[in-house]
Amino acid sequence: MSKVVEISPTTRHEGHSKLVLKVNDAGIIETGNWCSITPVRGVEKLAIGKTMEQVPKIASRVCGICPIAHTLAGIESMEASIKCEIPKDAKQLRFILQLANRLHSIALHNILILPDLYIPGTDTKINPFTPEEPVRSVAKRIQRLREIGQTIGQVSGGEAIHPSNPRVGGMYKACTERAKTKMYDLAKEGLVLAHQQMDFMIAVLRNFQKRDWADVGGAKIAIPKDLGYHNQGYMATHPFYGTTSMDECPTWDYSRFKEVRPWDWYMGEMEVSLADPKYPIGGTTPVGTKVNPQMEACTGIPMYDGAPVEVGPRARLATFKGYDEKGTVGQHIARQMEYTDSLYAMIAAIDEYNPSGKVVADYIPQGDGSMGWAANEAPRGTDVHLAKVKDGRVLWYSMLVPTTWNFGTCSAALTGAPWQLAEVVVRAYDPCVSCATHMIVIDEDNRIVAQKLIQ
Amino acid sequence: MGTELGKYKSCVSARSTDKEILKGAQDGGIVTQLFAFALDEGIIDGAIVAGAGDEPWRPRPFIATTKAELFAARGTKYNICPNVSFIKEATRSYGLDKVGIVGTPCQMQAVRKGQLYPIGLRDVGDKIALAIGIFCMENFPYQSIVQLVEDHAAMKMEAVKKMEIGKGKFWVYGQRGQVVQLPLKVTHKYEQPGCHVCLDYVANLADVSTGSVGSADGWSTVFVRTRAGDSVWAKAIAAGCFETQPIEKVKPGLELVSKLANEKITKNKTTLEERATFGVGKALRNPYI
Repeated sequence: MSKVVEISPTTRHEGHSKLVLKVNDAGIIETGNWCSITPVRGVEKLAIGKTMEQVPKIASRVCGICPIAHTLAGIESMEASIKCEIPKDAKQLRFILQLANRLHSIALHNILILPDLYIPGTDTKINPFTPEEPVRSVAKRIQRLREIGQTIGQVSGGEAIHPSNPRVGGMYKACTERAKTKMYDLAKEGLVLAHQQMDFMIAVLRNFQKRDWADVGGAKIAIPKDLGYHNQGYMATHPFYGTTSMDECPTWDYSRFKEVRPWDWYMGEMEVSLADPKYPIGGTTPVGTKVNPQMEACTGIPMYDGAPVEVGPRARLATFKGYDEKGTVGQHIARQMEYTDSLYAMIAAIDEYNPSGKVVADYIPQGDGSMGWAANEAPRGTDVHLAKVKDGRVLWYSMLVPTTWNFGTCSAALTGAPWQLAEVVVRAYDPCVSCATHMIVIDEDNRIVAQKLIQ
Repeated sequence: MGTELGKYKSCVSARSTDKEILKGAQDGGIVTQLFAFALDEGIIDGAIVAGAGDEPWRPRPFIATTKAELFAARGTKYNICPNVSFIKEATRSYGLDKVGIVGTPCQMQAVRKGQLYPIGLRDVGDKIALAIGIFCMENFPYQSIVQLVEDHAAMKMEAVKKMEIGKGKFWVYGQRGQVVQLPLKVTHKYEQPGCHVCLDYVANLADVSTGSVGSADGWSTVFVRTRAGDSVWAKAIAAGCFETQPIEKVKPGLELVSKLANEKITKNKTTLEERATFGVGKALRNPYI
């Protein structure tokens, strides 16, 4: 008979989410629901009536891990709506900023997943905060990579968190020749470290893949060979940057997108019937607790071509580079491979950037209310912002953020995994939950949905 | 009082040994020389100075990364130059890692406050390598300077070669050789009202602070205040950048500096007290408490 177990909150990722899992007698997940429990932010409602300059800055505040992606997607959706072409050097700066964000985010994620992995040849899990070698030098390398990513972001974008430099129509400030050299030097330094870090991470991940069991709360849990496998599709718009509705051939299609309500997707009211007080940290939810993912989930389920899709590093590599490894480990390895990719692309962009070039468009139209969208390849996947701007004011705004896409896909990928490893599967998506929390009112029907949520 | 000069490690009367610097300097060329030396030595990789603005004698913060750029910003411009507003940008799109900044006592307070509470100044505090403060009794808005020069001194702004406050007068030197002196009684009403709550005359929070008061013409009084300031100053002296005289042997010396500092403090304390009873049932805050 199936039992219900709830892990709430899930740990070592951004935001608040939980797992409600229906498991069989052997503890294998039959149906997994991973849902966001971060309260709705309401950024999309706040945006209405604000100026097009303000809204991307507000949108960026939805999260501090990839604010760069939100700023860029927000600004570019405004530019797509008003149909504003920006100068080449402004594009280069945004490209550099984008990759700087990806670099620091991958490094941060390394810290979050290392405690799930083992030092090769031992049964010791990696504690990234230990002062002992060999982990210490790895941790230092990770911090240096983050520092490099954030410093490059600061120089090109004004700020590593919530970048101030990008604006509708380009960038506020061009970087000087000295700043260009600084970014170049840092990127070159980062490249060496990124190669080392990628090799290290892949070695550790392959070691985890070869293992038969993992220790969770003192119990040896068998690791299935197909941990995290799913049959959903991949969605990616660009290996590094993104696409907008202004492109000649956009790589994302609004008409293929549809969003459904959480209660069409998640399980209904249930009672927790399995609990493990030894599960880290603090045990799972006690038996007898009522759970209701349908009503508790603070997110919609976006679909592309009628089904949830995976977005993120593996989706990018699978779409653009023929990468074909499935499962949790495959996903992690794809992310590590983006380390060096992003630095090579960054170095090329810095090289091409002209410090004396123009960075603001000569003419910035104020918009006629037509819809424009921009998709940005954030570290954890495709971040689409949609906007309608008229006379410089935002009429309508919507954000389709990476982890929203992944909620449905990851829930599907949980099936077949031991419930104790469900969080390991979730972490492979590098979830960033706070921005993934929102409701979109698309049509009259959905307005009733919003009311329902408030009840 | 006894605290009017702030804490300092050493105090001398000094002037630059570089004739080029002295040519366009206000007094002893201390700021330009010290920044130039720090740039050469790699102690700073750029300095925020008062560069030329769009209008004559209206300064604009400017990030000088070469000696030539520093030289172009020599001399005092008696109106507001928001140097601190550039401090973040210097570390961002200008790509500086070691920033030098020159400013009035209030600007030094802002720099230190920014280092202590870096709100909106992420990763900026540790990049401030040398903060040079200049003595300041009060400052003027640009419009005031226009009024003083064009109306009171009857000179066109473009035609002014140098402005100076000294010996109890505001001096305007024209390019054709005219010299106009205005009694400070005339200039008082043109001062920036915000300056009247300031209790700092000699930039107590700078690494090195300097000004003409206390030294002979063409020389400046220099207070070396912090470890960072001491290290730069000692290196600059060793490199022969400055000639110095012990401040005790100089006339009028520290006595005058103390006198003026006390005057400023006493005068502005009165304003602070007035403000405590100002307004409708709600006093204005004393920024020093």
